[in-house]
Amino acid sequence: MHHEIVSKEELLAKNEKAVPIRQLSPFVLEIDHVSVCFDGFYALTNVHTKVKRNDIHFFIGPNGAGKTTLLDIICSKTKPTSGSVIFHPMYKEPVTLTGMKEYKIVWLGIGRKFQVPSVFINLTVEENMILSLKKGKRIMDTILRKPKKEEMDHIEETLQKVGLADKRNWRAGSLAHGEKQWLEIAMQLVQKPEVIMLDEPAAGMGKPETFKTGEILKEIKKECTVIVIEHDMDFVKQIADKVTVLHEGKILMEGSVTEVLADPTVQKVYLGRGGE
Amino acid sequence: MKALKLFERHGSNVTFGIIVFILAMMPVLLMLGVVSGGSTILFLGKCISFAIVAIGIDLIWGYTGILSLGHGLYFALGGYAMAMYLKMQATGGQITDFMHIGGLTELPFAWKIFTLSPGSLLFVVIAPAVVAWIVGYFIFKNRVKGVYFSIISQALTWAACSLFIAMSPYTNGNVGITEIKSIFGSIKGSANQGNMFLLFYAALLTLVAIYALSKFLVERKFGRVLIAIRDGENRTYFSGYPVSRYKTFIYVLSAAFAGIAGAIFVNFNGCITPSQMTITYSIGMVIWVAIGGRGTIIGAVIGAFFINICEYNLSSGSTVEVWQYIIGVLFCVTILFFKGGIVGLVQDKAPKFIAKIRAGKVKA
Amino acid sequence: MEQTINILFNGLSLSSIILLTSLGLAITFGVMRVINMAHGEFVMIGAYTTFVVQQIFSKFLPEAIGGLYYFVAIAAAFGVAFGLGSLLEKFVISRLYGREIDSLLATWGISLILQQGARSIFGSQGVNVTAPAFLSGGITLGECTFSYNRIFIILLVALCMGAVWLVMYKSNFGCQMRAVMQNRPMAQCMGINSRKVDNITFAMGSGFAGIAGCSVALLGSIDSTVGQSYIVNSFMAVVLGGVGNLAGTVIGSSIIGISSIFTENYTSSTIAKAVVLLIVIVFLQKRPQGLFVIKSRNLD
Repeated sequence: MHHEIVSKEELLAKNEKAVPIRQLSPFVLEIDHVSVCFDGFYALTNVHTKVKRNDIHFFIGPNGAGKTTLLDIICSKTKPTSGSVIFHPMYKEPVTLTGMKEYKIVWLGIGRKFQVPSVFINLTVEENMILSLKKGKRIMDTILRKPKKEEMDHIEETLQKVGLADKRNWRAGSLAHGEKQWLEIAMQLVQKPEVIMLDEPAAGMGKPETFKTGEILKEIKKECTVIVIEHDMDFVKQIADKVTVLHEGKILMEGSVTEVLADPTVQKVYLGRGGE
Repeated sequence: MKALKLFERHGSNVTFGIIVFILAMMPVLLMLGVVSGGSTILFLGKCISFAIVAIGIDLIWGYTGILSLGHGLYFALGGYAMAMYLKMQATGGQITDFMHIGGLTELPFAWKIFTLSPGSLLFVVIAPAVVAWIVGYFIFKNRVKGVYFSIISQALTWAACSLFIAMSPYTNGNVGITEIKSIFGSIKGSANQGNMFLLFYAALLTLVAIYALSKFLVERKFGRVLIAIRDGENRTYFSGYPVSRYKTFIYVLSAAFAGIAGAIFVNFNGCITPSQMTITYSIGMVIWVAIGGRGTIIGAVIGAFFINICEYNLSSGSTVEVWQYIIGVLFCVTILFFKGGIVGLVQDKAPKFIAKIRAGKVKA
Repeated sequence: MEQTINILFNGLSLSSIILLTSLGLAITFGVMRVINMAHGEFVMIGAYTTFVVQQIFSKFLPEAIGGLYYFVAIAAAFGVAFGLGSLLEKFVISRLYGREIDSLLATWGISLILQQGARSIFGSQGVNVTAPAFLSGGITLGECTFSYNRIFIILLVALCMGAVWLVMYKSNFGCQMRAVMQNRPMAQCMGINSRKVDNITFAMGSGFAGIAGCSVALLGSIDSTVGQSYIVNSFMAVVLGGVGNLAGTVIGSSIIGISSIFTENYTSSTIAKAVVLLIVIVFLQKRPQGLFVIKSRNLD
């Protein structure tokens, strides 16, 4: 059933306004019994879950629970020992992501922000954004094609949103830690992804900044699905639609914020540091 | 003031313009008798070819972060292709002496190609490009990078060099292909000065074209992608770029530049030997780029001219020993303390210097 | 059959020299992430030291104990290379930690200087070391001849490997060294003087290259480029075997040494070089980082 990935031109031809051609699955990602084994150590064991379209889906858990590994699996940085991940795009047939090239997954519309800020430090903020645009990632495009006016407007708008518009000509390396985080989020947004994965987006941010991040995520979930790894429980409470708790590579439980927080086992392994 | 502003904005292009202008004046000066000896022109012609290969190395190392220790291979491949073509033109497709000695009775196939037409000159580019593509495709696809790539590229040149020496019936072994007339005819002696000038200007024109092409590439988004790959290869993959294709592309391009450079070199040098293919020679090219300033096209050009002019003047007679020490120390110190090389130093100091001049003028 | 045994024997002796040179490379790369292009020059230094020691012996000592010079030479070669390595680490290498590619280039500059130094002192003509009398000749078993000097080299390398193994896995210093290799910041927090560990590690690697130079001196004439001819193979062995891992280095060197002697025997040394390169490239298709891969959360 799974179609080969259609060329990018074709993907672009069906622009966002096209009508879905078939019964759309309510789930955008299906993580199907995934296990990962590093030299005999199971980082993930039989993880099976689904991510609903336009949700903000949190993965939480103590250190070493396998959260980051799970994101690595989705964007093909790590190959699973068994199991697979299936992506249900809005306007195309479902595709299996497992085993695909990283950049093709990005072309499909799955973006990721990494835990350690990794912007291109020797390029300006604006150049970072231009590199992240959805179109023009082939060699000839980058040589011959210049970004269109709409694209530049879109960059401007996104930079405004994260408050970096004034610093567009700064070298990204000279930004503060929090600003790098913002820039990286902005770089994901400008790709107009269907799924955006954020690994600790609020790390190194203060309360007001974290809150602002939350508001932005609420805004963008209208257009895409957001997967977040975060430790800040206030942040989780602020925006989560669904929470999956991982513990030692297994899913401990899954549900809404209130359900998860009320669960005694979750409290024990994760929250219950002396009844905070 | 205007000149200052121009320099601030287009410093590298202005510098390149000056270099090209000086080079273009050299034959004129020779005719006027200001400079003596045609050997200067021959030497500068070789420098032009070195500048071209340096630009290629800068594109892959300075911009993309791929350090090749084996560009001598591509330089020599271009050189051998050119030499074989010129030899065949001179002998009219006859079998050469060294083939006789090697026991061949018929012209080998690889040589026959060059008897056919001037179109076979395309092999100057095709041969290095194809080899680079094969190497690049397999190595970059599997994400071999950093020093691992450097070691492989070094070993590749090493193997190829001994292959060229071993196949002496085809390549004349260690001696190489000698006594080659240039593509415009003989350039030896004052009677053939016209040919030499023609060749010199053709080489200069090629340098300008390659500089312009490289400058165009790095100033487009393409150049930004290269820098992105250098600074964060994985991040670039996850930004949706097929990084290995970019790397292969730029590697092949730089090999093609090296091939062109080798071909120009042969015309001025009159011979090509496997010593152009050694590791030492290849790393020498990297030294030019490092000292000139990596990551700026002009740096590669400056470095190639600077080092070779120094070497030309120092490595004869009693200073020959000293030169080896100088180049070793210079290279080592550049890498340790001045990552940006000459151009980096200028970029660091020039703004302050310009500001000083301005302030001085305002006061006056 | 006899031929195969001879090839294996020659392969083994080449492998053991490669092993001795790549050992230092692998350790320094593993501990400091520094590639030392001047490593081959330490081989050269060891070889020239052997030559100098022999000259001194033949001039000042009676012939009867002349053969013993070789043992002194081994110690001297190790000492000289160790000392120079320590100096090099202190003034150059220590500024290059983590800059893998830059370290490669800066040490190339050093190697140019050392080569020219050798030419200035000993001239550009090659010099020869006369092997001590007890190493000439060989054992003949059936149709195979095992020359004493190759047997001696193999034994010497085995001895060195034993010493390295003892230092790395049985001594306090080795424990510190492995700690720095695996997690530098953590090791520093535990109070390990990582600067000292680096220095001694590097010097030790250079010292073994010096010993390799001693054995190289037995096999042919010595000139300023003698190190270069072994170093490419050693680099390949390191790539093949992965770094910071004794077993990997042993396996890598054996594969390179034996396969190159094998192909050389049936074809030519040129084809042998190409074959070795091909083996490494094919291997890298499967394991791009050698046998040694660090997993981290950092992207690059």
